[in-house]
Amino acid sequence: MASLLLRSGALKKCPNLKWSIASLSTTSSRLSDDVSKAVKQKEAPQITHDTALLNPEEIEQRKRLQGYITVDAQSNVAPITGQPEEHVKGRLVRIYEPAKNAMQSGTDNTGHWEMDFDTRERWENPLMGWCSSGDPLSNMKVQFSSKEEAIRHCEKNGWEWYIQESSFEKPFKPKSYGVNFSWNKRTRVSTK
Amino acid sequence: MSSHAIRAGTKQVRPILSTDRHEARQRVLNLYKAWYRQLPYIVKQYDIPKSVDSLKQKLREEFRKNDHLQDIRVIDMLVVKGQMELKETVNFWKQKGTFMSYFKDTVEPKPKDFLSKFLSGHN
Repeated sequence: MASLLLRSGALKKCPNLKWSIASLSTTSSRLSDDVSKAVKQKEAPQITHDTALLNPEEIEQRKRLQGYITVDAQSNVAPITGQPEEHVKGRLVRIYEPAKNAMQSGTDNTGHWEMDFDTRERWENPLMGWCSSGDPLSNMKVQFSSKEEAIRHCEKNGWEWYIQESSFEKPFKPKSYGVNFSWNKRTRVSTK
Repeated sequence: MSSHAIRAGTKQVRPILSTDRHEARQRVLNLYKAWYRQLPYIVKQYDIPKSVDSLKQKLREEFRKNDHLQDIRVIDMLVVKGQMELKETVNFWKQKGTFMSYFKDTVEPKPKDFLSKFLSGHN
């Protein structure tokens, strides 16, 4: 409002100019006239309504919650996952690298690690002959990108685990054509 | 064959409720006291065939189950869950049978030795 009046020149004729600007202007409009003054001006710290109602101790606690705490690198979350104890203790997890599909030459769906659980009691359904099991973890397979990740997951959930050696890592057999003609091996075949 | 990776050391994580062990312990004790004071009312309200003393014993047992925990975050989460459970109990959101399931009166212990496993037909 004050700046508008200034620009229009309505106040120029006023004998006591300073007094009339101060009386008309609000703080923010006065500061906006002079940018350098506005930058220097200190503003009151903003307090949100929820922090204004807190005790100093509560504010301190809130600050501490923003920080970090130090815990053991290996923590077990089994008590808070809600799974029954019988599925934590006594379960053995196999960590393995799934093999290539034997029916096809492609290597799709390989190259990762999986975990599955040991087999619990299974029985044949008396009516239909289907395979039944009372084990909720029997069909659970979880995929991981690396062996270490799978191990970490098992450790976190408190399961005992073992690693089945990968079927992909076969020892490399060096072969060479020259071996067929070596003087000390019975690989040389007469052409006659 | 099976093994456990021994990973010593510590890591920096964000806290949930408590920032040190003392604070976490205080929360656990507060929860224990709240449950303890509620027990006589629970016996009356739920009309269960248990005495206050046996409930006290069970309460202690349930808390003792987790006395080995070291991770402050896990302790905090358990405290939160315990508070939720207390609220459910006080507001009568639970049924009598649900409350009695703490005692596992109807659960038969699983056979452990060879002969009883064989006789039960399970292995």
